[in-house]
Amino acid sequence: MPLSDPPVSDLDLFDDKVLIDPYPSYSALRDLGSVVHLPANDAYALTRYDAIRSALGDWESFSSAGAIGFNPAVNEALSGTSLSSDPPVHTRLRATLTANLSPRALRGLKDGIEAKADALVTELVDKGSFEAIDALARAFPLEVVADLIGFTGHVRDNMLRWGQAAMQVIGPMNQRTAENFPIAGELYAWCSSVTADDLAPGSVGRGIFEAEDRGEIPPGTAGHIIHQYLGAGVDTTIASIGNIVALFAEHPDQLAQVREDPSLVPAAFNEVLRYWAPLHVWGRRATRDVEVDGALIPEGARVAILFGAGNRDPRHYENPDAFLVERNPTDHLSFGYGPHGCAGQGLARLEAHAVVKALSRRVERLVVGAGVRVPSNITRSFEELPVLEVVPA
Amino acid sequence: MKIVLDRPRCEGHGLCEEAAPQLMHLDDDGELVIDREEVGDTEAPLANAAVRVCPVAALRIA
Repeated sequence: MPLSDPPVSDLDLFDDKVLIDPYPSYSALRDLGSVVHLPANDAYALTRYDAIRSALGDWESFSSAGAIGFNPAVNEALSGTSLSSDPPVHTRLRATLTANLSPRALRGLKDGIEAKADALVTELVDKGSFEAIDALARAFPLEVVADLIGFTGHVRDNMLRWGQAAMQVIGPMNQRTAENFPIAGELYAWCSSVTADDLAPGSVGRGIFEAEDRGEIPPGTAGHIIHQYLGAGVDTTIASIGNIVALFAEHPDQLAQVREDPSLVPAAFNEVLRYWAPLHVWGRRATRDVEVDGALIPEGARVAILFGAGNRDPRHYENPDAFLVERNPTDHLSFGYGPHGCAGQGLARLEAHAVVKALSRRVERLVVGAGVRVPSNITRSFEELPVLEVVPA
Repeated sequence: MKIVLDRPRCEGHGLCEEAAPQLMHLDDDGELVIDREEVGDTEAPLANAAVRVCPVAALRIA
């Protein structure tokens, strides 16, 4: 059967309205095809679950090298990182990155992280009302990551804006990207000059420099690793924790299920990630003419992976627009999949499970006001979410 | 059928153990141990579930 050109849509993935609520657009794109050509973004979007999962597993056809961002400057800036490389180079960089970040490296942290989450949630429940994004979704991961890496002083104060900027600049060269490049540059500059003495003794960050001194990782790579921890691990986790609060508030019956059966904590987080993907879009480049469901992606083309579209594909998930914790969608696409699967997912799970556990133990119901979303190129999250009333457990 | 582990790629996320505790487990160091490499038809669905859930594609069926 001859290959056909994919269907075309005039949708702009980075339009403000699409960024605020992409799900109607995702649905329309999925209906058009597994691959849809988007001239506005000079990209071929992957829209259906199977096509996305296959592409994420196939680094030989869908390269990350200089291809994950939507403007040349960010792809240049990320060159030489595991994020932006293919095997075999990627394999070595990834091992260096995950040596201190894999679940086996993090096992000792679980109890401490759970205690922190429980103390924070208990304090907020006692207050009775709070702004969930600042007081919980930001406060908790910022504290966990700062303590883990050993950030102190002005770096700690800059983590939020640096982390947000690092994600924004992955978008196309629009106003958001232009405004955030100088801020992402501050992060880059700091990471280029950071030394072991800048990080708290005994921290994982200090350990990365010690590994460099021992020759276990190549000279000069410790700063890159710190950069990736901050750039990739802050904004995404904040989005996920905000989404946990919002979805439990909106679906008290689902919170009640977790309260009745605490073994559903991991399932609840999987469903939160499936329902609202923290990352809107990520790039790849086709290394050859690739056929996807009979449609051709030409060699050299930019590919836009729409995690959230795949997560709501009715071909894969029954009743995909319903939020149901018992679904336990362990194969959701929000951490990506395969060689580039989120390197920090072990830490993300530790943090998010701790929050879900604490909320389900301390809270019967949350009454929230209208959440505020601000268009953002890559991360989709709440900017504000007022909790007006807590019904304690 | 046989469960094959790409050892360097495994990061110890442990989702496979949750899916198929009869076939594999993480040891005290967090390293994955495949307890039953050769699996028959009865365990095939479990083995497939473990392969499917690995977030970094470190498991496959041969």
